[in-house]
Amino acid sequence: MGFLEFFYAKNITPGEAGNYTWATIYILVMFALASIAVMLMTWLERKIMAHMQIRLGPMRVGPHGLLQPIADAVKLLLKEDIVPTKADRIVYWLAPCAVMVIAFATYPIIPWGRAHAVTDVNIGVLFMLGVSSLGVLGIIMAGWASNSHYPLMGSLRSSAQMVSYEIAMGLAVVSAILMTSLQTGTGTLSMIGIVESQMAQKTWFVFNGWGLGFIAFVVFAIAMIAETNRAPFDLPEAESELVAGFHTEYSGFRWSLFFLAEYAAMIGVSAIAVTLWLGGWLRPFPNLLSGNTWDIAFGLFPALTFVVLGGVCIALAIKMPGIVQLRIQKFGMLAFGLLLFFIGVLFAVPGVRERVQDIYWFSLKIAIFMYLYIWYRATFPRYRFDQLMKVGWKVLLPTALGVLMGTALWGVLR
Amino acid sequence: MSNFYEDIETKPAEKTFLDSSELILNMGPQHPSTHGVLRVILKLDGEKVLGTECVMGYLHRGVEKIAENRTYVQFNPYVDRMDYVAAVSNGLGYCLAVEKLLNTEAPPRAQYIRVIMTELNRIASHQVWLGTHALDIGALTPLFYTFRDREEILKIFEKYCGARLTTHAFRIGGTQYETYEGFEKDCLEFCDFFLPKCDEYEELLTTNRIWVERTKGVGVITGEECKALGVTGPVLRASGVRWDLRKAQPYSSYQDFDFEVPIGLNGDTFDRYIVRMQEMRQSVRIIRQAVEGLPEGPIMAKIPKVLKPPVGEVYVSIEAPKGELGYFIVSDGSTQPYRVRVRPPSFVNLQALDLMVRGRLVADVVAVIGTLDIVLGEIDR
Amino acid sequence: MSIAPLLRKIFLVDLLKGLSVTFRYQKPGEIITEQYPMERPAIAERYRGQPRLNVNPDTGETLCIACGLCALACPEKLITVQSERNPETKRKELTSFSYDTSRCMFCGLCEEACSTDALELTQDYEFALYERDGMVFNRQRLEKGPEPTVYAR
Repeated sequence: MGFLEFFYAKNITPGEAGNYTWATIYILVMFALASIAVMLMTWLERKIMAHMQIRLGPMRVGPHGLLQPIADAVKLLLKEDIVPTKADRIVYWLAPCAVMVIAFATYPIIPWGRAHAVTDVNIGVLFMLGVSSLGVLGIIMAGWASNSHYPLMGSLRSSAQMVSYEIAMGLAVVSAILMTSLQTGTGTLSMIGIVESQMAQKTWFVFNGWGLGFIAFVVFAIAMIAETNRAPFDLPEAESELVAGFHTEYSGFRWSLFFLAEYAAMIGVSAIAVTLWLGGWLRPFPNLLSGNTWDIAFGLFPALTFVVLGGVCIALAIKMPGIVQLRIQKFGMLAFGLLLFFIGVLFAVPGVRERVQDIYWFSLKIAIFMYLYIWYRATFPRYRFDQLMKVGWKVLLPTALGVLMGTALWGVLR
Repeated sequence: MSNFYEDIETKPAEKTFLDSSELILNMGPQHPSTHGVLRVILKLDGEKVLGTECVMGYLHRGVEKIAENRTYVQFNPYVDRMDYVAAVSNGLGYCLAVEKLLNTEAPPRAQYIRVIMTELNRIASHQVWLGTHALDIGALTPLFYTFRDREEILKIFEKYCGARLTTHAFRIGGTQYETYEGFEKDCLEFCDFFLPKCDEYEELLTTNRIWVERTKGVGVITGEECKALGVTGPVLRASGVRWDLRKAQPYSSYQDFDFEVPIGLNGDTFDRYIVRMQEMRQSVRIIRQAVEGLPEGPIMAKIPKVLKPPVGEVYVSIEAPKGELGYFIVSDGSTQPYRVRVRPPSFVNLQALDLMVRGRLVADVVAVIGTLDIVLGEIDR
Repeated sequence: MSIAPLLRKIFLVDLLKGLSVTFRYQKPGEIITEQYPMERPAIAERYRGQPRLNVNPDTGETLCIACGLCALACPEKLITVQSERNPETKRKELTSFSYDTSRCMFCGLCEEACSTDALELTQDYEFALYERDGMVFNRQRLEKGPEPTVYAR
């Protein structure tokens, strides 16, 4: 497809259209937005956890700490780059790169909308699960290359944890894939295909199967927390335990690469969950509340979100005390609020509205997952390693198997 | 388990650390979970703990030696710095010991004020314990909630005696400060504020399956073992032994108050957690009763300006939040004590660490140190 | 196991209860952080902070009668009081007064021992210095009293 032809086509991704220029543009935009999202996640995590802990979080670096990620990045870049003497230099250098690349390698096929992915592979889900499993390799490389007792033990534990929970993840995914075959008789592994089959069946898979879809979703949700080494399964990287984890010997920017890769992996697995169970880019109630007016009403949600966010920023800016120390912050917050407000107004324009719809709903669902991640971290204590493995093998795996068999039975009986 | 270092030298050279032979792990003085500068040397077999040895003394400041060169009144401020988390109890123990040496007693109003301050102090100490213990096990938020409650208590302390942490609240013979305007109101408001928060902590932790799995059955010690080691306080009570100095040997008018002593059944970490949570609730009960029954009268007994206690020795112990805090004072008739020996509860309780973690995993060591509720300032003095 | 605890275990009720507690605390009204140094905390009147030698507000004379009780009371012996006897009034007059705040533990025994209202521990806690020299307060510094820094940036 030609360059301009693609611009006016609405329902096809660059990969399917075979247009390399647009694919490159999509890749660059997606990478930029993913980096911004990951930096935003660091700020959000600190602010939301702080509010749950009845404190404020970063407030000084920008208005309400909005420039804190930039300050963190600059600080980490300026730190001394320590490499242990007996460390395997090449592997030591490769490990954070590997983890980062693997975390971002799942992004091209995440379907932010029907036309908003880089490409659509017909083995989409298999690709995503396979590539995210490769993350274990990066962790083992990090632990090994440090040439120190405790990072090695920590990385082995972390990799054991990730591998055992992948099994439960995979089985839950299979039961969702089974549901795609209900209407057409043939299932599909492609990410866009799964969402389209949810659209065709007029229901999100999480509500399918008399609760079986919901159980599969819960199993996947728990397994994905363990997969990404987040609380309550974060013993390998816990601060107050003895074995400090695979990234002990890393400092400065290398450490921040691990950290950012963890957030990127979180977004990646959340994207799988959203696509498989929560209807991907579909708006809520597509069949119950259908019709032109409802379409327009739901279509105004992106605009409404940004307008409300802008309004909140402006209100916070006005509420700031007017002392001379806070003048710049007040001005910055006002400007930011006005920017968000105008973006919101822009999103209400009919032409832009349709294009933004899919991306907005997908991002909203991912944002809910991110909020849940942070919420769990603030609330739950940590599992001990043997209890962690027990939950993975003795609780989640049988549940996933049971759900799989139940889904198959239900599909046959329908 | 005499000297670990000898064992290292006799190991054959071919064995690497990946073999599951014995490994010496040093949980060094700088560690986020040892509640101070405590060095714990662990002997591990893979992940299982075979034995521990605690090395203390990193916070030794020679408090008992200082006592030999200060008068009785001058030594009072130093006592707060031992168990710095719960400074009021230390002052109470010392004042009671010197008063016994002088054969006087504080007047009833002073005794009631002492009870109120000590019970507030017990809640504050248990809040620090709860926050840090939850933090060690991985729950990051209760720390902030408990420190908020502690903040309210410290505000009361500041309004009463002028300092939040090193309170120097009591004097020999009574209290120096009369209660300030609004003291009773503040205390009662705190009690009303605090009890729902206790329920919230229970909601957050007690039934949480992760918390229960991390604490049930971890660090079990029986009542007999506790008595053999001399362990006191909530650790002893959680093992089933009903022994609380406030009931067994009442001091400072505790006999006037109606409260219960919570007892545990199994002696594991979960029971110690429940016992301390219940103790906080009972403290609130005591505070309410004391505030409502606060008698009028003088706050200082008649003692000479220059204190020269008669020759003799005395041992007085109180129920500090961490256990039995005892003061053994030897007087030779002069203005300065001949010897002050402090029996810190954390020091004696720390002996139980070895017994509690034998055969458990490394991750449990951190939980057990947290549940013993040790303060290094007290252990090292 | 009876049915109700089993259902509670399956439906993760205990975890949801914990989640609701942390969720409730997100209200901005619950936040208790005071953004120091822009918001100052309220200090109690009895707070034992920086020492000050009070002067008579009308005449400007020092209230200290150089009795030396504060120096006797201090556990750390960091107060030195020097006086000379005035030949006319036969009273002791204060010549120099030195107070070493670097060793002081702010116990308040000197404030209690003072027979007039001269030595007082004020509510000021912001007197950090870069060097140790300024930590020994002489009489002029004590009479000047606390000068809290104004936060400019």
